[in-house]
Amino acid sequence: MRKNKLFLVALLGMGWCALGQNKQLLYDFSEIPQSLMVNPGVETDFNWYGGIPTLSGISFQAGSSGISVNDIFADDGIDINTKVRERAIFGMNPRDELSGTYQLELLNIGFRGKNEDNFYSFGIYNEGDAIGYWFQDYAILAFEGNADRLNQAFDLGHLKTRGEMMNVFHFGVNKKVDNELTIGARAKIYSSIFDFNSTGNRGSFVTTEGQNNIFASTIDADMRMRTSGIEALREAQDEENLAGTILKRGFFGGNLGLGVDLGFTYHLNEQTVFTGSLLDLGFIYHTNDVKTYALKGNATVEGVEIILPDALVDPDADFWQDLVDEIEEFVPFEDNDKSYISFRPTKLNASVRYNFGEQLASRVNCDCGTAVRGGGFRSKYANSVGGQLYAINRPRGPQTALSAFYLRRFGNVMALKATYTVDKFSLTNIGLGLNIQAGPVNMYVLADNLLAYQNIAASRYTSFQFGLNIISWRKN
Amino acid sequence: MKAFGFVASCCLVCIAFLSSCVEEQDFDQYDDLAIEPVWEASILYVEAPEGLINLTSGTNFYSQDFNFDAFSSDVFADRVIDGSITYIVENTTSKELEVSIQFLDDANNVLDTETFSLQPAPTALLQREIAYGGTGRSIDIIRNTSSIRVNAVNLGDNTSTSDLPDPLITLQSSGKFRVRLK
Repeated sequence: MRKNKLFLVALLGMGWCALGQNKQLLYDFSEIPQSLMVNPGVETDFNWYGGIPTLSGISFQAGSSGISVNDIFADDGIDINTKVRERAIFGMNPRDELSGTYQLELLNIGFRGKNEDNFYSFGIYNEGDAIGYWFQDYAILAFEGNADRLNQAFDLGHLKTRGEMMNVFHFGVNKKVDNELTIGARAKIYSSIFDFNSTGNRGSFVTTEGQNNIFASTIDADMRMRTSGIEALREAQDEENLAGTILKRGFFGGNLGLGVDLGFTYHLNEQTVFTGSLLDLGFIYHTNDVKTYALKGNATVEGVEIILPDALVDPDADFWQDLVDEIEEFVPFEDNDKSYISFRPTKLNASVRYNFGEQLASRVNCDCGTAVRGGGFRSKYANSVGGQLYAINRPRGPQTALSAFYLRRFGNVMALKATYTVDKFSLTNIGLGLNIQAGPVNMYVLADNLLAYQNIAASRYTSFQFGLNIISWRKN
Repeated sequence: MKAFGFVASCCLVCIAFLSSCVEEQDFDQYDDLAIEPVWEASILYVEAPEGLINLTSGTNFYSQDFNFDAFSSDVFADRVIDGSITYIVENTTSKELEVSIQFLDDANNVLDTETFSLQPAPTALLQREIAYGGTGRSIDIIRNTSSIRVNAVNLGDNTSTSDLPDPLITLQSSGKFRVRLK
């Protein structure tokens, strides 16, 4: 009971939101080395950096487009059954979603090459991501049933979900082509720990007036759930070796895939900058510990039918078992271990930034002023304002978000970035990011949807990012 | 000084946000959540043409026990709360007929009997709804039913034939039950 309660609370608490991977605060925040992870073509001026292992990049995001913990559990005197019925079952629709994602950097190192125009970075991070759309018709069937709903087809396609956990090994090159253009690319090897997806389901269940009997129940299903790694983790849990199995599968002992990130920064003029990036253009080929479950076929049932005199042919006939066998024959539930490919949720970022105000002294290997561009790097402006576009490929199609931002730099010590993000889930998403540079120690904290903190339980989206790095601008 | 002002403002905004309240939640409400859908489906359909009735010697022209595990399966029996079974019986033959439905448990003990007496055609459709659980008959009848016995008795002759096209007797039935999922 307690486990069920915790699960429900966690489910609602996690929230669901297509923007689970939107990092609008980190994007183009070039003081933070991890901005290379959302745009490998960002302008960098570091000579090298090293993330503090496991602390260099921690991000967690979760959201809900349809419901919050407060909607169900507020102590408001309304019967919980009424709230669930009105706010969840009939208050949400199949486009509402629950999603969450996290990233934990295990290693992140960057260094400038002999050719100062090239900056290399590499590392490992662990990532988990899951999304589930609101399975409304299943919920209606579970909470209300099919009684008195003659001819109402319950859409089996409402089950649409995917999730994965993996380690990502990456190596990126960032190249300053000229004073206007910087490009970058990052190659990735995905080592999948587990994966599940059930996104292409079709079919329906409907109760109609029967031809012979009172009702006819018809199922027409084409459903599939593909998994990899789940059985291995289940067995590991039974053997109390879960951590070891996760570690093993995360370090090339599971399923492997390849991907690439691409990005650029282009100066339209001295103060106006255009950037873009395409992330996780890749796939994972699942061959290890694969299990696919399928339910495909159609059948109409009107109960046990005894039609005389035909039914007298075999006096020992088991009509009930015949009915069960017939359904299993027409709508077989099968499983297999065929390999499959899953594509990563590809993300697109783009921004236009206008820099203005005071020009800051460069940190690059000299104590020079703003007139000097150390190592050929552009000096930064105290203020930046602009807009960002984000899109992610999801099972129900691309989803987008638009952000406006203002970035303020206080010398080379501190920078603040504020964002206002609009998406289909929220019109009041205000985020703040703080980057502090204390000597070589770099620390950043980014938090999203701050207005929701007025009542955290009512929040449908939350995100948090934190990291610690050591940065050097010197050549030795 | 300007910078200090900006930072101070931002910090104040952050503090204001972060120190804000959380509306009181009552997670014990979960215990009151009742997931009790009502499902309905057809159960049994029996059809016997008048020609067959005429061919059968004696009055009992059909008697058969059917295995029916739907009610006694754990997934249903452990969760059913209440419900009803609806019967629709139609006689278009020229004979007076009596049909009885009996629910039997594993040991073939009769748990419940429903009898339908039908006058020769033309007669109206006979529809009957039997409630189980609550103020109806015991829901344990449903929980323990593992087979159904159908008895059909001809109370008329073995020679006459109805003027109606395709004369027969049909019995339709459906169940509508509320089950507790949580």
